[in-house]
Amino acid sequence: MKAAFIAYNQAHIENIEDILTQLSIRGFTRWQEVQGRGSKDGEPHLGSHAWPSKNMATLCIVEDNIAPILKKRIQGLDNDAPEQGLRIFFWDIIDV
Amino acid sequence: MKIYESSVKKPITTAIIFVALVVLGLFSYSKLSIDMMPEIELNRAVVIVTYPGASAEDVENNVTKILESALSTVSDLKKITSTSKENTSIIQIEFNWGTDIDAGVNDMRDKIEMVKSYMPDGCSNPIIMKISTDMMPIAIYSATANESSEGLYKILDDGIANPLARINGVGSVSVAGAPQREISVNVDPQKLEAYNLTIEQIGAAIAQENINTPAGSFDIGSETYSLRIEGEMKESRLLNDIVVSNYGDKVVFLKDVATVRDSVQERAQESYVNGRKGATIVIQKQTGANSVDIMNKIKERLPQITKNLPKDIQVTEMMNTTDNIENSISSLVETVLLAFLFVVIVVLFFLGKWRATIIILMTIPISLIASFIYLFVSGNTINIISLSSLSIAIGMVVDDAIVVLENITKHIERGAKPKEAAIYGTNEVGVAVMASTLTIFAVFFPLTMVGGMAGIIFAQLGWMVCIVMAISLLCALTLTPMLSSLLLKQMPKGEGERYSKFYTPIKKALDKLDGAYSRLINWCVKHKRITISTGTFIFIASLFLFFGIGSEMIPASDNGQISGNFELPVGANVERSRVVAKRFETFINKNYPEVKNFSYTLGIPADDDDNTWAQMQTSGTNYVSFRVRTKDLKDRKKSIFEIAEGLRKELASYTEIYKYQVTAGGQNGMMGGSTVDVEILGYDFATTENLAKQVRQKMNELKGFRNIYISREDYKPQYQVEFDREKLALNGLNVATAASFIRNRMNGLTASLFREDGEEYKIKVRYDKAHRQNIEDIENVTIVNGMGKSIKLKEVAKVVEKFSPPSIERQDRERIIKVSATLYDETLDKATKSIQDELDKMDIPSNIGVQIGGTIEDQQDSFNDLSVLALLIVLLVYIVMAAQFESLRYPFIIMFSIPFALIGVLVALFITGGTINMISAIGAIMLIGIVVKNGIVLVDYINLNRERGMGLTAAVISGSKSRLRPVLMTTATTVLGMIPMAIGLGEGSEIWQPMGVTIVGGLTVSTLVTLVMIPILYCVFASTEVNKRHRKGKIKLNRRTNKD
Repeated sequence: MKAAFIAYNQAHIENIEDILTQLSIRGFTRWQEVQGRGSKDGEPHLGSHAWPSKNMATLCIVEDNIAPILKKRIQGLDNDAPEQGLRIFFWDIIDV
Repeated sequence: MKIYESSVKKPITTAIIFVALVVLGLFSYSKLSIDMMPEIELNRAVVIVTYPGASAEDVENNVTKILESALSTVSDLKKITSTSKENTSIIQIEFNWGTDIDAGVNDMRDKIEMVKSYMPDGCSNPIIMKISTDMMPIAIYSATANESSEGLYKILDDGIANPLARINGVGSVSVAGAPQREISVNVDPQKLEAYNLTIEQIGAAIAQENINTPAGSFDIGSETYSLRIEGEMKESRLLNDIVVSNYGDKVVFLKDVATVRDSVQERAQESYVNGRKGATIVIQKQTGANSVDIMNKIKERLPQITKNLPKDIQVTEMMNTTDNIENSISSLVETVLLAFLFVVIVVLFFLGKWRATIIILMTIPISLIASFIYLFVSGNTINIISLSSLSIAIGMVVDDAIVVLENITKHIERGAKPKEAAIYGTNEVGVAVMASTLTIFAVFFPLTMVGGMAGIIFAQLGWMVCIVMAISLLCALTLTPMLSSLLLKQMPKGEGERYSKFYTPIKKALDKLDGAYSRLINWCVKHKRITISTGTFIFIASLFLFFGIGSEMIPASDNGQISGNFELPVGANVERSRVVAKRFETFINKNYPEVKNFSYTLGIPADDDDNTWAQMQTSGTNYVSFRVRTKDLKDRKKSIFEIAEGLRKELASYTEIYKYQVTAGGQNGMMGGSTVDVEILGYDFATTENLAKQVRQKMNELKGFRNIYISREDYKPQYQVEFDREKLALNGLNVATAASFIRNRMNGLTASLFREDGEEYKIKVRYDKAHRQNIEDIENVTIVNGMGKSIKLKEVAKVVEKFSPPSIERQDRERIIKVSATLYDETLDKATKSIQDELDKMDIPSNIGVQIGGTIEDQQDSFNDLSVLALLIVLLVYIVMAAQFESLRYPFIIMFSIPFALIGVLVALFITGGTINMISAIGAIMLIGIVVKNGIVLVDYINLNRERGMGLTAAVISGSKSRLRPVLMTTATTVLGMIPMAIGLGEGSEIWQPMGVTIVGGLTVSTLVTLVMIPILYCVFASTEVNKRHRKGKIKLNRRTNKD
């Protein structure tokens, strides 16, 4: 089992939800408004006057075999709209 | 859930709400009536008292003074003016603006009640009236007749006036200029004396013969009958056989001492319409009724009504206030539609996408139509103010939507789904949009609080724009995101090949413009001093234009109506006046094809005429008043001002005419252009009159004064009966009794009323006309005292010829003469200054006050109000901006666009030859809010760039460049939206033109200048801040190095 942490621009919410539904990932935890900035480039999402856009974050625990599919789908979405900002990170789950 | 989020997620609800809004708006629109101006409750009331037989001075002393001193204690009083003339005293009370006039009138009534017992016996009850625009006739028709002219009054009264008066909303319909039927009993004084009779006895005899008496009721068997004695005459000729007295054993019939004539009144006004004698029918509306509605009904009914009249009677429309209203309104509607078209073009030009354009344009009809709901609910009408407000707002309502849409598009281009882009895109700019709308509120809301005359006009404008803007904000935050989420596509496919081919050159041009602008900014940033000093120089240079621009109150408007009057020397009879009037008519017919109708009235209305309208007008046997109705504006080349000037020249060439006046635009004060009044206050007639003549002389020499008119009329020749009180007393008489004897013989005694077909006619007993033609006739009047002894008037009195002033005007309880003039081709401020200079040179006695009144007074009041307003608005706008930027410095920079707007205003007014007046001043005030919007957009984005970490100069350059298009676009919509107004289409547009010119000029120049100056000023102001921060940083750094 892997924990997938998806940080994304608010505007992606529907796409992310679609992907999770399609992959039958039922459980998740979501933060409605979070701030963030990419390590290399891209606009920060700070909800401020200068950077008004905001991020959302979804954490979901997925089976090991689902993880690569999820990664591929998310990255595909990111490639479609690279300026929006979208990242996915995985951890191993030790215990449930 | 935020409002835009729910609107995007519930598109149907949102759409339905807006549809409902539009439906309600259209419903309200269908119920709204049309009018020229918002309902203006004038702040005036009049008291009219008639005192039959009294001369002007008597009226002044016995009636006017008493009433004036009582009324001067009324609260909220601004000014009392009065006119005392023969028989009548008219006192006009002007209240402070905003006073509850009903309460004021009640107060007046109480005060009058207190002094009523001090007034002379013969006075009528004081009539108190509120003056309102409703009192003005809404239409005047004239009827001409050939064969039927003798019975014209009755025919018109029954045939036209009564049916018209039945129309809902019509207040009163009065017929003037047609003599009314009267049964006159003309007595031969010699026969009277022979039979030892008096007029009074004859009057009493007639009254006793012409009477119906109920005699009670009685029972016959089981039925009750009432008993009546029907003594009233069925025919007027029966009067002849009335027994007036017994002389010896003979009966004296009325026919023995008098002739009974069933005819028309002796004196009446004559009116001529297009050369034919006729009568005028004056139509007034009920208070609160809508003129246009009524006129439509009248026009609908009139053909049916006139069909039943005798064939020789022709009814022509002479004056109609509503044509002008309808024309003005329809030209304004055209203006609004054109503005809409221009805005469409601008939006399409800058956005280049039809879907986006549609989304933005949806805001316009919705916010405009929804504002009709406000008009309906608040009981207003569609008038030139409410429509102009729409025209003003039309360019501004799209601004919010544009900002929102632009941000949404940006998100979509970055790859967001339209729905999310709509929600979050709106979220990001929501606050900024609200703030920029708030600045517009900051300007227009204070307008709703303006006092005075200006307040009535501008309060509505303020409300309208505020409401339209509020709705447009609502649209921008809900409808625009909702429609964007539905209509915008991630990869716009809607635009085909054809379209891009068409738009590519525009796009290239815009890109080039961007490039050029950024190079300009680049250069300016490096040459700040030159830029700023050039700007300052332009500003100062333009201030000199101030001296080239005149000022006035409200621009005059061409409503196709000219009215005027002229006077022959006093004493001239009706025949002489008629000849001159005829000549004047021939002149007009020959030289002015622009004139559609020409009518004139001469003579005195019958003194017992029930036509209050006619009573309030000046009249005299030597006085001719006329009215010219021109063709529609599009069918003629000359303006009414030119025609009026031509008529003045013609009248000036008539040697018979003593004085004349021609007023273009009719007499409804506000529209007719400015007047200058020199008010001369002082008791002595001769001195003040002399001074007035000097002033008139001076005005004649100065430029631009027309219609110079001395308000005091001329001395009228008059015979006065001077009683010898001692002789009166010896004969057991008093002045009142003796006077009533004279009055009854000369003026006549109304003995009774003759009734026929439900109408009442007066039966008047008096001396035969042959016996009241010279002084001897008066001297020979027989007065009978209480002992039955007859005394000739000449035994107790003498009749002398004297002159008396026909009317005495007073203002604030002092006698006044006004020398008034209207202006032609000269502005009010210059005219006032020139006459003031002349007055200063004159030698004025110390007990006489001279001051300048007229429009200049109102103008100064209004301009003071407006300056306070401008200050208030500047402050409010600053507050809104300071709150938005959380800074005191940036709003200050933005405020610099205001003086640059002034340059544009001055240049535009100078080029178009406009004046500084109420309307252009309001335009300038509105500019305050509109021009700062550009500054806000620029500064906001520059700030953003700096917050994003750019250096000061880079932030300024890139910020300015990226905001160029939005600034140009919002400005272009506003400017082009105003252009139809500035050009001035159709009738009545003169009034609003200055506002259009001001805004177009001011906004254009200010935008061009602010696009350069604001970034540079930003650099200058912000660099001090940056330097300060740097210095702080250095000190810290130094400390740290010291430690080490």
